[in-house]
Amino acid sequence: MTFVVTDNCIRCKYTDCVEVCPVDCFYEGENMLVINPDECIDCGVCEPECPADAIISDAAESAEDWLAINAQYAAVWPVITEKKDPLADAEEWNGVPDKLRFLSEEAAETA
Amino acid sequence: MNVITSPETVTAAAPAGALLLRVLDVRHYTDSLFSFRTTRPASFRFRSGEFVMIGLMVNGKPLFRAYSIASPSWDEELEFFSIKVLDGPLTSRLQKIKPGDEILMRQKATGTLVNDALVPGRRLYMLSTGTGIAPFASLIRDPETYEKFDEVVLTHTCRQVAELRYGIDLVEAIRGDEMLVELFDPGKLVHYPTTTRESYQRQGRITDLIRSGSLFADLGVPAFDPTVDRVMICGSMEMLRETKALVEEAGLAEGSNSRPAEFVIERAFVE
Repeated sequence: MTFVVTDNCIRCKYTDCVEVCPVDCFYEGENMLVINPDECIDCGVCEPECPADAIISDAAESAEDWLAINAQYAAVWPVITEKKDPLADAEEWNGVPDKLRFLSEEAAETA
Repeated sequence: MNVITSPETVTAAAPAGALLLRVLDVRHYTDSLFSFRTTRPASFRFRSGEFVMIGLMVNGKPLFRAYSIASPSWDEELEFFSIKVLDGPLTSRLQKIKPGDEILMRQKATGTLVNDALVPGRRLYMLSTGTGIAPFASLIRDPETYEKFDEVVLTHTCRQVAELRYGIDLVEAIRGDEMLVELFDPGKLVHYPTTTRESYQRQGRITDLIRSGSLFADLGVPAFDPTVDRVMICGSMEMLRETKALVEEAGLAEGSNSRPAEFVIERAFVE
């Protein structure tokens, strides 16, 4: 059991989830965050923190594809442990349907 | 199996970033419940009601599980209330700790059962089953809870009477604590323990007592009202699901740290 990030994170990346995760299991791509399913302890604290409602439990039927995407990118993107500013046009992109086509496979630039 | 708890060896083996807690006191309540107190590292900060990862070095590796901190944020020591699971990876070992041992804690406390995640109200309900009372043990000893609310109702439901002991001792200790009584009026705190499998002064699952109206009749208050009542829920997954549905039916909305509202939930962590 784990939680997973879904496509409404893409081009928003609010990072409120990062602030509350007790095990620092979020990983950061250029325009999306993912959860490492092997590290997530399923505590659920991040779920209600997301302003885009992008985080769901993998118990949900729609979670299967997202679980694979989260596992795939958590293995290659850098860990993110502190909240930062959302992407500049996050408000405009929040709620736009089917954002998976905008996913960047690039890792976030690390300082 | 090799569990390291002696101070020198834990210090040598602990993973980077983990804090060390020295065990000060352990109390066993039943075959399945115990509490313990530890030192608190000076650098460790948390808000009353939060949880943290604690663990042991097992077979050369750190094994962590999430535990609610049962002590309030002002306390110089830390307190935890735990189940014992016979074949639980952590609790089967953790239940054997004794004063002088050292255990591990990660540095980041978090959680939703905090005063910050609720909008102001008059009455705060804390609904718990089993070890789900732990975060509330923290909050009912924090003066801030009584600054925000006129009345605090702690419900605790367990199968057996003996499983209620931790909560009963806790509330008695608060009422008898001269320092705490200076800081808040313990008359604002109502303790409402019930059992589901053994005969007791009050019986029944908290969900049934809410549905039937018995909880409110016993307290002499109206049913949940989103304008004045706030609710925190901590128990098993099933209890959370049912109780959440009941408070949502009453018109309360779920809050979080970034968006406070009328109720919050968190699971009682089990192995």
